[in-house]
Amino acid sequence: MDDERGIATVSDAAFLEVQRLLNREAALLDRRDYAAWFDLLTEDVKYVVTARVSRPAETGPLDYAIIDEDADTLRLRVLQIGDPKLTRAENPPTLTRRFVSNLEVEAAGPPNDYAAHTNLLVYRQRGTAPDGDFYAGRRRDLLRRDRGSLRIADRLVRLDHNVLFDGSLSIVL
Amino acid sequence: MDDIVRSAPSRSWVDAANGTVEREAFVGEDVFRLELDRIFHRLWIFLAHDSEIPDRGDYVVRTMGRVPVIVVRGSDGEVRVLLNSCRHRGTKLCRGEAGNARNFVCRYHGWSYAIDGGLITTSYDEHLPPGMDKADWGLVPAPRVETYRGLIFAAWDPGVPELRDYLGDMAWYLDALFWRTPEGMEALAPPHRWRTRANWKIGALNFIGDSQHVRTTHAGPIALDKVRSEKDGFYVQGGESFQVVTDEGHGCTLTYLAPGMPERNYLTHPPGLRGAYADTLSADQLAMLRHLRVMVGNVFPNFSFIESQVALGEKAVIIRQWQPLSGTEMEVLSWVLAEREAAAGYKDRALKHGFHNFGAAGVFEQDDLELWASATQASDNPIARRFPYSFHSSLPFDHAPMENAKGPGRAFQPSNTEVAQFAFMRRWDAAMRPLA
Repeated sequence: MDDERGIATVSDAAFLEVQRLLNREAALLDRRDYAAWFDLLTEDVKYVVTARVSRPAETGPLDYAIIDEDADTLRLRVLQIGDPKLTRAENPPTLTRRFVSNLEVEAAGPPNDYAAHTNLLVYRQRGTAPDGDFYAGRRRDLLRRDRGSLRIADRLVRLDHNVLFDGSLSIVL
Repeated sequence: MDDIVRSAPSRSWVDAANGTVEREAFVGEDVFRLELDRIFHRLWIFLAHDSEIPDRGDYVVRTMGRVPVIVVRGSDGEVRVLLNSCRHRGTKLCRGEAGNARNFVCRYHGWSYAIDGGLITTSYDEHLPPGMDKADWGLVPAPRVETYRGLIFAAWDPGVPELRDYLGDMAWYLDALFWRTPEGMEALAPPHRWRTRANWKIGALNFIGDSQHVRTTHAGPIALDKVRSEKDGFYVQGGESFQVVTDEGHGCTLTYLAPGMPERNYLTHPPGLRGAYADTLSADQLAMLRHLRVMVGNVFPNFSFIESQVALGEKAVIIRQWQPLSGTEMEVLSWVLAEREAAAGYKDRALKHGFHNFGAAGVFEQDDLELWASATQASDNPIARRFPYSFHSSLPFDHAPMENAKGPGRAFQPSNTEVAQFAFMRRWDAAMRPLA
């Protein structure tokens, strides 16, 4: 789908700008500040999360979407999990800690400025459960300068999961 | 059938006269073991949709209770369900979830089987004694495999009735969801799969007829979704709404357009498919679908379905397998289906909106699962088990079926009682009794 074929180098300044954006984004999501997070997205944002069908190597793996949102449906999802009156899964709020690493940045064709590839590890603790859960995956973000800032225009999270654990995915990855 | 199970004492968890069910039914490991033998390793169990394995050699790997099986389309085009375990020393033949095979080859010692299950070679056939007939050592087939309207079921008890007879009056409703166009439905993507720490029956009960949970559990998506909340009609059930139960323990709930709700939001037939419906369904079935807002149901024991509004004038059909892992855990498989004849864009939207609401990250699903898991956890202790669950709101209604229902089966109004849920529990209780 989006296997990186040789990452084209960008300037250190561009790399740092992307890294700052992704770190700031992770902090906002861990703080559940969804209004500020939504402001980091372009108005035509695409947001996709996939899981994987385990198949023989000869057949090749098959990814399938478990979330596939545009700005409108993504807004609905975030309004729900961000409002204590409107969510059961996230009230009491789950605790999350996002680790965004192994950043590689390449120049992207117009209209996007960069493609950022990262590894994602999210620790999540629900309620008083003694054991937390982890979501792990590879993220590919297309970033665009929009309204004066670099913003996320298109996110693909390819989870390294076949079967999801502990109920439904009720956080943003 | 296992001798221990045959001789297990008769036991009842359901108090039919008082409308209660013992909590042990929803948490007990002994109950779970009995369920495996008396329900999941005996009765018809839903496994896959026909469209998942279109070509010869296509297979998916699924589970019936504790039994891992391969659902495969054979060289003759027939669907077979084979125990996913080598006859030699038990290794899984298929260790992934899906694929296409010319043969099933065991990677341990090399026993090799045709896709219809027949043993081709042990790799050391020259060492076999003369009395061993390879024809007796094929992969173990489920003795009964039948497909109804694209839905593949299998059973391990060769004596179960024909699938169509087992579905009984529910078949009429299944036809209206799964066979309303000449080519039928297709699964639009592989099933979402997730585990949850909840008893499988909570899922079945939630789908067979639990209108009472919608307002409280799903406050979020209903308040946020303009299609649903318009004129606040969502909480009002149209006067035509009803529940259905059948002798086999199947059931469904049909919720109709409430007065004042904008009809255009709830088109009965998707654009472009209107004509096909009229060609395929009976006038009674078409009348049943008219103004239908949500149809949700369960085929005993663990196959559920929901047809729900997913966008303005568009619907998705979602199907479920509630796969028990223990008394307190299950794995859920969830597919989105659409008519094969539907336009590609319609299928794409049905899929996205279907799992936006009812998938592994569904905005409805996430709130259900949190509450189901908490119910199972809080009930799994000796003190809580002394106090049964309430199904009381079935009792004032379940002796008075409708006389002029829109479809077959025993129909009941209003639609937001627990009649269908308690019927499921009584059927479950009967299925758990020792075999004669």
